[in-house]
Amino acid sequence: MRSGGDNRGRLLLISLIVTSLFLITLDLRGVQVITGLRNGSQSALSPVQSVASTIFRPVGNFFSDVTHLGRTRGEINKLKAANEKLRQTLINRKNADAELTQLKSVLDLAGTAQYKVVNAKVISLGSTSSFTQTITIDAGTNDGVRQNMTVITGLGLVGVVKMSYPSSALVQLTTDPAFHVGARVAGSQQIGILSGQGTRKAVLQLLDNQTTLKVGDVILARGSQNNRPFVPGVPIGEVTTVDNAAGAVTQTADVKLYVNFAALSVVAVVVGAPKSDPRDALVPRPPVPTPVPTVTIYAQPSESPTP
Amino acid sequence: MFARRFFISFPIFAVIYILQESVVSQFKIFGGGFSLFLIFALLWSALDTPEMGALTGFGAGLMMDLSQTASGPMGQWTLIMILAGFVISYLGYGDDNFRGNPISLVFTVAAGVAITRFIYLILGLLLGSEIGSAWSVFASLFSSAFWSVAVVPLLMPVVTRLHEALFDVKSRI
Repeated sequence: MRSGGDNRGRLLLISLIVTSLFLITLDLRGVQVITGLRNGSQSALSPVQSVASTIFRPVGNFFSDVTHLGRTRGEINKLKAANEKLRQTLINRKNADAELTQLKSVLDLAGTAQYKVVNAKVISLGSTSSFTQTITIDAGTNDGVRQNMTVITGLGLVGVVKMSYPSSALVQLTTDPAFHVGARVAGSQQIGILSGQGTRKAVLQLLDNQTTLKVGDVILARGSQNNRPFVPGVPIGEVTTVDNAAGAVTQTADVKLYVNFAALSVVAVVVGAPKSDPRDALVPRPPVPTPVPTVTIYAQPSESPTP
Repeated sequence: MFARRFFISFPIFAVIYILQESVVSQFKIFGGGFSLFLIFALLWSALDTPEMGALTGFGAGLMMDLSQTASGPMGQWTLIMILAGFVISYLGYGDDNFRGNPISLVFTVAAGVAITRFIYLILGLLLGSEIGSAWSVFASLFSSAFWSVAVVPLLMPVVTRLHEALFDVKSRI
């Protein structure tokens, strides 16, 4: 190991540290040059990201599938037989079909609630070095996407537009630890605050200590003033566990988010909210059991039995 | 000499940065994956003098701060990467037993990635960022160290050869 640096080296180190502290101070004081630098770098990178997304997304999807293999093994086995016949014909259209399905479901949801939406493709899945949970989409200010707009898929709330650039936008996901949204319970209309936890599970804290939650309750976005950042009525998730700890001031619950954030490819940004609150119109319908056909057979004994 | 080396390294870091932001970020793998740029920066710093390591960290940190996905204020990554670059190069400087051993370099860089991210997290907390559940933080740090152990041996031969070719110093392992 080295016993110590020379004076020039020390001076360099101190200068660099002072420069970085100066940058932090400038940024925290809201100096616009710093924001401009970040916006400029993103504007330059977004075309490259779009191209890379087109080329590498199938490979990325493969890695994502491998990651979830253990969890969905049972489901995969069941579907494998049925999918085998279709695989050959669908293989070239797989990505396009997946995007089409997501697009259709998001338009269904937006149509039911009468949201005006702008559709966008996910071109980047966020940072691997910091702890934020974000995605980058290929729609920006040129398409009418602005900061603090709600982002949805056909399953529900994805997040909120954090930054918008001319041809792309950065979306903070519902799973982000810094994400908070006013939420209400479908049916009972209890209100609370839902916070991201870095995983697909979020935490809901009720505001009223007189009400109770139960497993299976559907959580919807409560909506913000002037519908930004959140439009009302967007499904968020379902209560999986309720914390009934004695002495707690208000009740909290774990909420499993509806959206599968590992498989996002097409999303929609709500650029225009409905005139009226859709209330519980967007609550996902429970699956309807398929009726099993029954046949009743009447047997009539013959009058003269044969010997 | 510092400025010359800094400007020679810059285009390489720019390419790695573009790769990180446009290609590596497409892969959603276990635990959030790895940061190719962070690994490359630490590996590059580890092959140089402490002063050059700090300067490399400064440049790399600036680029990481420019990323739209950086959650903290501009300068947060810069500060941490200056210290990380300095420390990782200081550890093995003048010690050929350490620097000449690829295994120690792999584990130092892997630990360096996890520690750097942990310090980023702590500094973020001090600056008012929210970090989420302890489990998600632990999983993220563990997986970044895990992926670094997997990626560094693949990256090391390329980085050491490139470093040797550019600066004409014996850095190949």
